[in-house]
Amino acid sequence: MPSERLRTLPILGDRIGEIEQICAKYPERRSAILPVLWIAQKQEGWISEDAMKEVAEVVGVTAAEVYEVVSFYTMFHQHPVGRHHIALCKTLSCAVCGAHEVSAYIREKYGFDAGKSISRDGRFSIEEVECIGACTEAPAMLVGEKLHGDLTPKSIDDVLGKLD
Amino acid sequence: MPVDTFEKVYLPNIERGETEWLEEYRKQGGYEATRMALEMAPEKIVEVVKDSGLRGRGGAGFPAGMKWSFLPKGVYPRYLTVNADESEPGTCKDRPLMEQRPHTLIDGIICTCLAIESELAFIYIRGEYYNSADIMQKAVDEAYEAGLLGDDVLGSGRKVHVVVHSGAGAYICGEETALLTSLEGYRGYPKLKPPFPAVSGLYGKPTIINNVETIVSVPFILTKGAEWFKSFTHERSTGLRLYSVSGHVNKPGVYELPMTVTLREMIYDYCGGIRNGHDLKFVIPGGSSVPWLLPDQLDTVMSMEGVQAAGSFLGSAAVMVLDHTVCPVWAVTNLGAFYRHESCGQCTPCREGAAWMHKILLRLENGQGTMEDLDTLASIAGDGTPNTGMISGRSICALGDAAAWPVGSALKLFREEFEEHVKLGHCPYKNKRYWMADGKFVNETFEHHPAWGH
Ligand SMILES: Cc1cc2nc3c(=O)[nH]c(=O)nc-3n(C[C@H](O)[C@H](O)[C@H](O)COP(=O)(O)O)c2cc1C
Ligand code: SF4
Ligand code: FES
Repeated sequence: MPSERLRTLPILGDRIGEIEQICAKYPERRSAILPVLWIAQKQEGWISEDAMKEVAEVVGVTAAEVYEVVSFYTMFHQHPVGRHHIALCKTLSCAVCGAHEVSAYIREKYGFDAGKSISRDGRFSIEEVECIGACTEAPAMLVGEKLHGDLTPKSIDDVLGKLD
Repeated sequence: MPVDTFEKVYLPNIERGETEWLEEYRKQGGYEATRMALEMAPEKIVEVVKDSGLRGRGGAGFPAGMKWSFLPKGVYPRYLTVNADESEPGTCKDRPLMEQRPHTLIDGIICTCLAIESELAFIYIRGEYYNSADIMQKAVDEAYEAGLLGDDVLGSGRKVHVVVHSGAGAYICGEETALLTSLEGYRGYPKLKPPFPAVSGLYGKPTIINNVETIVSVPFILTKGAEWFKSFTHERSTGLRLYSVSGHVNKPGVYELPMTVTLREMIYDYCGGIRNGHDLKFVIPGGSSVPWLLPDQLDTVMSMEGVQAAGSFLGSAAVMVLDHTVCPVWAVTNLGAFYRHESCGQCTPCREGAAWMHKILLRLENGQGTMEDLDTLASIAGDGTPNTGMISGRSICALGDAAAWPVGSALKLFREEFEEHVKLGHCPYKNKRYWMADGKFVNETFEHHPAWGH
């Protein structure tokens, strides 16, 4: 029996119609686990333990199975991130086109303490990630869902400066 | 600038970067292939694709028509899965295909589903491609509305449904069996083959997996004919190919070319040569997994056979070009970090081997390595050819080989530079620094960033 809290689904509740539609697309309901996790991450910005329990409830698996999946995929955040999450590519094509410099530039200019991945004001978080499929536009980064390539100090400021 | 004597079909207007929505695609005669396929017997479609010589564009280059004919007779349902995971470093050609030609992909999916008698197709798109997934979903919605997808494709009584599915960040999910386990809602662990997915794939049912570019080729083959496709041929490589050229060329980008093109023509005629008049140091010709090529191999024909004759693989046709400022030890350490991070951890040779190699590489690049380290590294990685060393050929999937080959190849080609790191006690390239000029990031060579682990 699901607990009272889970029955009301505080995190996923208002998206339940959409979630049911997604589940119906697959021959087996378990396949909806990634799409539903994406919705959970959108709701809160990251995936908390409570969110995993709700996903388990709606998909019909155990919370442990959801955790097993969440912990495998690098794009699911298991801790809160900044209001805007930056995924900066550090793989070879970007690395030889200045990705290290981009990292240093952003970390200094946008207020990251050494070794920290969230800026002091909580506005940004940054993660140096493996190839994001924009190698011909190196160096490249994702800010939230948007891809930015051919980065220069000016283009970085144009993008990040506009965000609250 | 070379004069192209062939018509570009995949991405003729790549610079404009616009999405071709349904109305525009129809104006250009779109879904003609679907109409033709609806009139053809499934075996006939397979035959035309076989005849064209189309080989998979995802990496392994397996003949597409032959794969389709491996489906066990009379077993249903069957599934089609389009591999849009595109995570092999250097590769970025499926993204413009999905973002600019979404309906050509759907056209190809319908034709392929009719050929293999599947009623349900999945497009597994890597999580980082938010925009591609949005565009594909919108295009799929348009196609449903127009009666091209659904329970009655163009009034033919045939069913084709398409589900757009996003991954969540894992290179290994590009490997076909891992992709299927991921799509089933599990961790993306590869499985031992056989059984191959064509026999037992998604939910244990016969499943065909093809790369985006492979499926996009199908409508062109049906409408223009197998002979047209074969008019671009080098040995057993037929058709045009999308090359992603990145790194130190003046004009990096995705280039649509016949596979008769040489590496020299690609770099110097199409991509404007090496930046700042620098010298070429080495080329990674088929995505980060493959052995490297040297400047004296510029006459290599960039077909599957041509690159193999040069000692490497065309793989995903991602060509990474590195100039003389790049330390090969540093570069292979960067790739070592990638494979260490992306190993799924299921098998010991790959999991332990990738981590062990990366640790040794870090030590060498940081100037703390010894000559014994070089021998140990060679014994783990092998010599950059299949089934040498402790990993290649000993793991469940090909990621093990992919982790070993670049290291073995770098050691073989640049042994002296590795030894120099040991003798000097530091990277000989480290005296230069990155600098900024003209408001751009320019790197003359590399510096270590502790935060990056290399
Ligand atoms: C580690 C690894 C990663 C792979 N990544 C991809 C990928 O991102 N995209 C892709 O199409 N194929 C990838 N492949 C190849 C697939 O396993 C499979 O061969 C391919 O999707 C088949 O399609 P094709 O015959 O049309 O090329 C990868 C293989 C391995 C071993
Ligand atoms: S070879 Fe590596 S990636 Fe492939 S199954 Fe084994 S551990 Fe996983
Ligand atoms: S190497 Fe940076 S996007 Fe591919």
